[in-house]
Amino acid sequence: MSTSRRVFLKSGGLALAGIGLAGALPGVMQSVALAAPPVARAGARPKTLVVVFQRGAVDGLNLLVPHGDSGYYRARSSIAVPRPGQADGALDLDGRFGLHPALAPLLPLWKAQRMAAVHAAGSPDNTRSHFDAQDYMESGTPGLKSTRDGWLNRLLQAQAGTSPFAAVAMTAQTPRMLAGPAPTIAMTSLARFAVQAGAYTAPIEGGFEQLWQRADAGDLGQAGHETFEAVQFLQNSGAARRRPDNGAVYPPGEFGNALRQLAQLVKADVGLRLGFAESGGWDTHVNQGGASGQLANRLREFGAGIAAFLTDLGSQRDEVLLVTMSEFGRTVHENGSRGTDHGHGNAMLLFGGAVDGGKIHGRWPGLDPAQLYEGRDLAVATDFRSVLGEVAHKHLRATNTAALFPGFAYSPANFVGALRA
Amino acid sequence: MAIRPDRAPVFRLVLAATLAGSVAGLAAATGASAGTAASAGAPMNVRTAASMTPPPAAAAPLARGPLTETERARLVLDRLAFGARPGDVERVRAIGVDAWIARQLHPETIDDGDVARRVAGLQVPTMRTAELFARYPNPAMLLRREGLKKGDVDADPKARRQQLAREYRDKGYGRPRQVYLELATDRMLRATYSERQLQEVMVDFWSNHFNVYAKKNVLQWYLPAYDRDTIRPHALGKFRDLLLATARSPAMLYYLDNFQSVSPDADLASRMRANPKRAAKLPDGINENYARELMELHTLGVDGGYSQQDISEVARAFTGWTIADARGIGAAGTGQGMAAVGNGRQAGRYGRRGAAMRERMGVPPGVQSGEFYFNPILHDRGVKTVLGQRIDAGGADDGLAVIDLLARSPATAKFIAGKLCAKFVSDHPDPALVARVAAAFRRSDGDIRATLAALFRDPDFFAPQNYRAKVKTPFELVASSLRALGAQSNGREVQMLLADMGEPLYGYQAPTGYSDAAADWVNSGALLKRMNFAVALAANRIPGTRVDLDALGAADDPRAQLDAGISRWLGGAVSAETRRILLARLGQPLPEAQLDDAGSDAMAGEGIGGGRGGAPKVRLLAASGDPQRVQVAALILGSPEFQRQ
Repeated sequence: MSTSRRVFLKSGGLALAGIGLAGALPGVMQSVALAAPPVARAGARPKTLVVVFQRGAVDGLNLLVPHGDSGYYRARSSIAVPRPGQADGALDLDGRFGLHPALAPLLPLWKAQRMAAVHAAGSPDNTRSHFDAQDYMESGTPGLKSTRDGWLNRLLQAQAGTSPFAAVAMTAQTPRMLAGPAPTIAMTSLARFAVQAGAYTAPIEGGFEQLWQRADAGDLGQAGHETFEAVQFLQNSGAARRRPDNGAVYPPGEFGNALRQLAQLVKADVGLRLGFAESGGWDTHVNQGGASGQLANRLREFGAGIAAFLTDLGSQRDEVLLVTMSEFGRTVHENGSRGTDHGHGNAMLLFGGAVDGGKIHGRWPGLDPAQLYEGRDLAVATDFRSVLGEVAHKHLRATNTAALFPGFAYSPANFVGALRA
Repeated sequence: MAIRPDRAPVFRLVLAATLAGSVAGLAAATGASAGTAASAGAPMNVRTAASMTPPPAAAAPLARGPLTETERARLVLDRLAFGARPGDVERVRAIGVDAWIARQLHPETIDDGDVARRVAGLQVPTMRTAELFARYPNPAMLLRREGLKKGDVDADPKARRQQLAREYRDKGYGRPRQVYLELATDRMLRATYSERQLQEVMVDFWSNHFNVYAKKNVLQWYLPAYDRDTIRPHALGKFRDLLLATARSPAMLYYLDNFQSVSPDADLASRMRANPKRAAKLPDGINENYARELMELHTLGVDGGYSQQDISEVARAFTGWTIADARGIGAAGTGQGMAAVGNGRQAGRYGRRGAAMRERMGVPPGVQSGEFYFNPILHDRGVKTVLGQRIDAGGADDGLAVIDLLARSPATAKFIAGKLCAKFVSDHPDPALVARVAAAFRRSDGDIRATLAALFRDPDFFAPQNYRAKVKTPFELVASSLRALGAQSNGREVQMLLADMGEPLYGYQAPTGYSDAAADWVNSGALLKRMNFAVALAANRIPGTRVDLDALGAADDPRAQLDAGISRWLGGAVSAETRRILLARLGQPLPEAQLDDAGSDAMAGEGIGGGRGGAPKVRLLAASGDPQRVQVAALILGSPEFQRQ
C-alpha cells in the first residue's frame, strides 16, 4: 500500500487506498476535513504552533531593549533606542526592558498577558555563520550537520492522526526545520494551490494525478501523491475564502500574506498543527538605525503582522502559540558602519493564550564586558531547545519530547516557565 | 578567538559511510523507492554535496547496462545544456557525443548569431554602470542630483510621485525596474536560445556560487556589469581569475559590504579623526562579511580549515577595495558621472561637489560611478597572517595575495569539485569522483574548462545510475520547456514567472545562492506550480511567448499525437505505464467548452526591481490552441519524467 494513504488510514480507517482523487467523493473528504484529529488527552482542543524564523540574525538588543542596563547605552553611541519617556524611546515592559517603538502593535498583547519573551536565548554552538547557525537551529542539533530532518518534522512525526495540512510552511521551498519523512506542505498562496486549467481542469488534473501517482515515480512520485491529496482537502475546507476577522489588518508584503494565510488555515480547521513563516532582511551590518531606520522598518512590518495574526484569530488564539526565533543575535557594540555584526544571545518572543505573559523569562546575563560572550556578544543564558521543548511539552502535549532534540539534556526542570503549566 | 571545531568532518564521514551502507537496505525493505524521502531532510541551500550524508536512494532505474548512444546524447543535452530542442539528439549523435562536448567546452568556436539577434533589442546588458545610473536613475539619487531638495517637492508623497513621473517623462529616463528586467530577460533568452549552452549553464552555476542579491539597495544597477564583465568572461576560464573578478566587482563589494570596510588605522581614519566634524561620520570599522563568505562559500568551504582569526586578517587585506560613488549620486540623471566631472565638465551643482569628493576619495581618472577602484587611504597597511601565511605585499596586492592563496588551496579544489559533481552528476556524488575532479582542478591550476573536461570524461559521468538522476531547478525547467516545444519567446514575461516558482534570478537573499538539489525543490507547492506552468505554456497563456503544437499531428488521432509528443519532448523515454495512462486520458472526451474560458487567474510573479512591494504580476492571456494537443503537451511537460534531467 502506498505510504501516502497512511494519513487517512491513521485517522479512522478510511480505506481510500487506490481511489484516485479526481472524482473522489467530496462528502468523504468533507468529513475528514472537519473531524478533529485524535489528541493525546481527551477533551483538549487541538493546538497549533506557529514558528516565525527571522533570517539574518535579528538584533535582539534593539528589539527587546535592555534600557535598564547602562552597558547598552555605553556600547551603542548612535544606534541605541532611547530610554522610555524620551522621544522615540523604548516602550517600557517591566522597568528593565522595553519594546522597540516600531513594535507598538505588540504592546496591547503584552498588557493582556498574551505575550512573553525569553531574552539571552540561543544556541550553545559558537558559529557565527548564518548558514551553519540556521542549519543547527532548524535541525535542532547544534554542532551536528549530519542530522537530516528538522525538529518540526520530528515533532510532526510524534503527532497521531494528521491531515495533509498538519504542517504548512508559507514559503516557496520547504524550510530545513520542516524537512523530513513526515509529509509537509510548502506554498505561498492558498488560492493558487490547485491545478489551474480553466474549463479543462478536471481532465488535466486527473491526468497529472495519475502520472504522478505511478509507483515508479519514486521520490518525485511520493511528493506528487501528497500534492493531490492536499489540493482536494484544501478546496473542500474553504480556507482560501476566509477573510480576516475582528478588524485585523495585515501589513502588505510577503510576511503579512504568510501570516494571513496561516490564520485562514487555522480558522478553517484543516488540522493545521505546525505552521511556519519566515521573515528576512535582518542582517543589519550597516546603518542599522536606532528608533528609526532600517531595523525599525523591518520591525514595524514584523510587529504589525503578528498583531494582526492574533487579532484575526479571535478566540482561537488561545489554541495557537506563535514563537519567534533567529539564528543568533548581534554584537553588543555597534561596528564601524553604524550597524552590528554577528553575535550570540538573542530574544525569542512567544504569543498566544498559553503563555505566561507580561513577563520576560530566563536569566539576564548582563552587558558588562566581563559578562559578554567572547568579549563581544550577549551571552546565551537559555538554550533555545529548552524554550521549544517547553512549547512542545506544554502547548502541544507532545509525548517523547526528549527525542525532539537528540543530544540535549531535556528536562522540565530546565524550562524557563514561558508557558503556563 | 574560538576556532571552528574539527571533529565535525570526521563524524560526518563516519556517518556517511554508515548511511550509505544502510541506504540500499532501506530502499529494498520499504519496497517503494525513496518512499520516505519526499520532503527529504536536506538543509536548505546545500552548498556542498560532500558535506551532506546521502539520503535514501533517489529513484534510480533498476540495475541495467551502459547507456545507449541516444541516452548519452540526451544526458549531455540535459546536463551540459538546458535540455534538447527538437532534433538536438540527432544533431549530437551525428557529430558524436564526445565531439559535441569538446565543442561546448570551447564556446568561442560556436557561432551564436541567432541569440545575438534576439538580445539585440536589449540595451541594458551592454551599458556601463554609470550609464545605467544616468539613464535609469534611482529616484532618491535623482532628487539629490537634480537639486530637488525635500523642500522643492511637495511633502505629499502622491504629489512627489507625480512630480518624479513628470521628471522621468520629460527627460526620457527609464524606470529603475527596467535594469533588472532587461538583464533577467537577457539571461533567459541566452539560456533558451544560445548555441553555447555549456557556457550558459556555467554562467548560471557561477551566478549562484558567487551569489548576489538584486534587491539590496542599489545592487541591481551593478548586475549587468556583473554578468557581462565578471562572470561571463571567466565562466570556463581560470578559477583564480573568476575569483578575482568577483572580489573586485562592485556587485560583490556592495552585496557583502566590503566597499565600506575601513581599517581603524588607515590614513582616512586618521585624517577624519583629526577633524571633529568629520570624525562623527567615520565608518571606522572593518567589515568582515566579505572575508567570511569568501572563504566559507566561495573557496575553502565551511570546513576548509580557516578560523575566525583568518577571517579578520582577510578582512584587513581587503580594506580599500571599494566603489566610486557607490550610490550613483554623481551620475543620476543626465549627469555624466564622476569621469566627466574629473574632466572638468560641470553638469549641475553636484558636479563641483562631486569633483571635490572624487579627489578626496582618491578616485583615479577614468573610473566612473559604480566602478571598482582601490583606495589606499582606506587600507590597513599592516602585515597580515592568513592560513599561516604572511601577507605583506602592500596595497591592493594584499588582497591579490589572499586571492591567490585561496584559489590554490587544496580545500578549494575539493570544495569546487564537490559542487561541480553535485551539479553535473548527482545530488550526492561519490566522494571518490569528487577527489578525482579535485585532482584535475589542482593539476590544471584551477582551469575550469580542463576540470570539466575531466569530469565529463570520468566513467561516473555516464554511469547508468546517474542517468536522469537530477531534478531540474525552476530556471532549468522553464528553459528546457521553451526549448522542447521550440517556443518563440521574448524571454521577458516568462522569466517573471520564475519568481512564482521560487527562483527569481539574483533573487536569493543569503550568500549561499539557489540550491541545485532535488530535496530543495520537490514539495507539493512547487510541484503544483510546475504543472501550472506547463499548462500555461502549452495553452499559449504566457505573454510574449508562443508555442506551436501543430507538429503533434492530426486532431483525430490521439495515439499519434501522443507518440509525436513523447518522441519530440521526452526522447521516447517514458515507461509503458506512463504511455498507457496518457493514452487513456486522451481517449476520454473533453468537456464541451472553449479552452479560453480560463478565468482571470494571474500567476503572480513576485518580481524584483520594482518599487517597494511593487511586484510586477504576469497577467496570463486567454488560452488558445487545440484542446487535445494542449492537453498532451501540458501533461508531458508537467510529468515527473520532464522534471528530471
